[in-house]
Amino acid sequence: MSQTESSNGVPLVRVENLSKHFSVRIGAYGETRATVHALDDVSFNVQRGETLGLVGESGCGKSTAGLTLLQLHRPTSGKVFFEEQEVTGLSEKEMRPLRRRMQIIFQDPYSTLSPRMTIGNAIGEPLWLHELATGQDAQERIAKLLDDVGLNPAFAFRYPHEFSGGQRQRVCIARALACEPEFIVCDEPISALDVSIQAQIINLLQDLQEEYNLTYLFIAHDLAVVRHISDRVAVMYLGRVVEMAPKERLFENPLHPYTNALLLSVPVPNPRLERQREHTVISGNVPSAINPPSGCRFHPRCPLAFEPCDHVVPEWREVEAGHWVACHAV
Amino acid sequence: MSVLLDVQELQTRFQVRKGYVYAVNGISFTLEEGETLAVVGESGCGKSVTMLSLVRLLPPAASIENGKVLLRGEDLLELNLRQLRDVRGGEVGMIFQDPMTSLNPFINIGTQMAEPLVYHRGMSKSDALARSAELLEMVGIPDGEARLREYPHQFSGGMRQRVMIAMSMSCEPAVLIADEPTTALDVTIQAQIVDLVKELRDRSGVAVIWITHDLSVVAGIADRVIVMYAGYIVEEAPVDALFEDPRHPYTVGLMGALPSLTGETGTRLTTIGGSPPDLIELPDFCPFHPRCPYAIDRCRKENPMLEPVAEASDRGHRAACWVDIRDVSVSSEAGVAAD
Amino acid sequence: MTTQEIAVTSEIEIAEASPTNLWRDALARLAANRLALVAILPIVLLFFIAAFGPYLTPYDFLAQDFTARLVSPSSEHWLGTDELGRDVFSRILYGARTAVSVGLVSTAISLVVGLVMGSLAGYLGGRVDMLVVWLTDVTRSMPALLLAIVINLTLKVPLEAWMEQMYLATKNTFFRQTMWVDLVLVFGALALIQWPGYARLIRGQILSIRSRNYVLAARALGMPTGRILTRYVIPNAMGPLIVAVSAGMGGAMVLESAFSFLGVGVQLPIPSWGKMISDGLRMWQTHPHLLVGPAVMMAVITVSFAWLGDGLNDALNPRQWGG
Repeated sequence: MSQTESSNGVPLVRVENLSKHFSVRIGAYGETRATVHALDDVSFNVQRGETLGLVGESGCGKSTAGLTLLQLHRPTSGKVFFEEQEVTGLSEKEMRPLRRRMQIIFQDPYSTLSPRMTIGNAIGEPLWLHELATGQDAQERIAKLLDDVGLNPAFAFRYPHEFSGGQRQRVCIARALACEPEFIVCDEPISALDVSIQAQIINLLQDLQEEYNLTYLFIAHDLAVVRHISDRVAVMYLGRVVEMAPKERLFENPLHPYTNALLLSVPVPNPRLERQREHTVISGNVPSAINPPSGCRFHPRCPLAFEPCDHVVPEWREVEAGHWVACHAV
Repeated sequence: MSVLLDVQELQTRFQVRKGYVYAVNGISFTLEEGETLAVVGESGCGKSVTMLSLVRLLPPAASIENGKVLLRGEDLLELNLRQLRDVRGGEVGMIFQDPMTSLNPFINIGTQMAEPLVYHRGMSKSDALARSAELLEMVGIPDGEARLREYPHQFSGGMRQRVMIAMSMSCEPAVLIADEPTTALDVTIQAQIVDLVKELRDRSGVAVIWITHDLSVVAGIADRVIVMYAGYIVEEAPVDALFEDPRHPYTVGLMGALPSLTGETGTRLTTIGGSPPDLIELPDFCPFHPRCPYAIDRCRKENPMLEPVAEASDRGHRAACWVDIRDVSVSSEAGVAAD
Repeated sequence: MTTQEIAVTSEIEIAEASPTNLWRDALARLAANRLALVAILPIVLLFFIAAFGPYLTPYDFLAQDFTARLVSPSSEHWLGTDELGRDVFSRILYGARTAVSVGLVSTAISLVVGLVMGSLAGYLGGRVDMLVVWLTDVTRSMPALLLAIVINLTLKVPLEAWMEQMYLATKNTFFRQTMWVDLVLVFGALALIQWPGYARLIRGQILSIRSRNYVLAARALGMPTGRILTRYVIPNAMGPLIVAVSAGMGGAMVLESAFSFLGVGVQLPIPSWGKMISDGLRMWQTHPHLLVGPAVMMAVITVSFAWLGDGLNDALNPRQWGG
């Protein structure tokens, strides 16, 4: 499956048929080997300067997609290109210059910072590692980065445990920025934070994107947040991307029945509207990724499922310019 | 409608290494028969501690310093442990956030479900099991009789929450306290659970206290809403009034911070700068003022009481704020900086 | 509300708080722990005596005074004398040397071995891990004292014979001092008994820290493995290790005394508390002073190390305080 973007130019990141399977042992004594199909045959491009949102429920493989893209997991198959340079198969040493340009922000700011390192050192480390600044110059850069993310530069000598979740996430963002990256994978960066803090971090990410011309892959489970921050959105279900489109089109005209169900499930903060809405259009739970359903993985829960759905994997196709979907019923 | 639960001046604090953290600071509210009351706030605002205080299920470091919890006129804080046990799981059912750890993994579902029925209702074991099977079907778990023999790990997260709901409803409680029951669940499962609770409520007439941090969920389920901040109720209103005419700056801030699924995009979210405090002493100022774009001098000197708002569409609309925020306009990102 | 939420202080408070340091915090928490403070005193005293004991003793530990055998405590001999007329107090002070050197050296050896084996197992995993875990299981399955006796019985004679040969070949008087054989055997046995504990602890720490997000974040920054180990994994594994070392020191000293008691420890003339206790036990009904001194010292030091270990555990584990 090759995929061409409607927009021109070389994409910054190109993911081709990326798969990641984990081998696990199950059973009371771990006697059975099984394969978790965390990510299967996923393809997408990210254009320079845009934000691609990646949504899905827990266990759909969205975080695995981010980690595998960055080669923090070795992919089982498929390719990743960064500015047309193939990233898959590079050794850790060959990756190092690219690591500076591709960064990641994690969900849980509590475990992402070493408790034994001041935040100044944590932010300074990438500067030293990639030989971006030393000595006095580095100190100034750290102060500037702290200021960029809305923290007092005097905080550089403090330890992570002195900060709240939102502040720690700011530190993590400063640290990612220290590398002067072009591309940042935001892996559920606000899910662990309180509502009022979430908005602060979203605004910060948007400001930084504008200031440094950053490209984001924004992974989240909250559709409203993804709609707010993304230019295009991809929806994942059980290891596969089921639909991808510019956000206006995806939210106004969802084609895949799963996207539709997801959108209907989200409550809206309007009591009069909410009282009239029908929420549960799909029943049941997401099946296990150890033995995913054959054919279209959504077919056991799909209200539209018909003959080919349970044995033929639907083709990933572009139904209108920039709007991709994998569904037999569309 | 008559008042079912009347909470008066409830105060709970935690003993910490250097003194106390004031978690719930003299709050009062009522719950009417059959009503659904949502309690909204961010982590640490005291919403969960309030609910645990009602049935005295607090951790050892916490103590209830003051207040009354009148359930049909009987003060739950005065009951001895034996009487209290009859209330817990009897007249007051509870569901917690984490369905994964709320069930005992070593005992099958049937035994766990039958236990409160035997204890509170004096049913025989076989009657209790039969009733449990009915309850499972009632919460949307088909083939209930067979599933009673299964163990918690054989149920998914959403299914376990259904089991918890079935258990909490088994003794036909007058009040169901749901503490963030959908927070750990995915959005499609959340929708299923919300619909289930609504259906059960409409059928049985149970009064529900729904604790959550998510204003959107509140919109669909609540009759009335309480917004909490730093252990105080800062605003209380019928759900329509709260969403259409919020009067406390914190409520306004929370609503502005929510991205929307419809309408314009590309706008900036309004934010509340800073983060919530933990009170190590009771404040003689408004606890929200450091983050409040509307703050005036008085806010720094006196802590406002919860009082009916001016020109309210409903008499039950109350807020704790010195400022009538309709008179003031502030820029969307005013307030203090994040640090 | 969980304790974690309570522990998060507000922005306003943070702005006013002075910058703190994890280690300084830990020290403050240790200082607030009375038992640990009480325990530090005997331990400091022990190290002081071990270092300067020979300058403090009124008598040489070997000096025999046949005119004053088995005398009871007096102003001349504070804790009395033994059958050979040697001053018990002086011998206890010298015994501190044995105890401390045994504690330090055997802990150091087992720690180094444990660090290397544990790190390899934790970081490399797979077959190396299985091998190390198997080795620790085998070692730990043998009773410590039995192991020491076996080592002593099988290795002592050949080692002494080898020393003798070396002396004849080199004429170096070093090889005449058979006490080195004792020391090597005691240290060796103690290290053999203790390394699996450290190896397992370190392996567990590395396995747990390796899965933390900050290690993943460091990898995402392109950090080489060696630097991840030295900057992230090891510093974060230090807390439990310090606790284990503190407890291990006390344990090693007790074990050495047990060895001496059974006759497989440090042989005379170097005084060892265990040996003194075992000798004293033969005459405790007639001459209890021979038993009381070393036994009390042993008990105090053991309890002190246990309390200090407890205190360190609490101090280095921030989750244990606050809520």
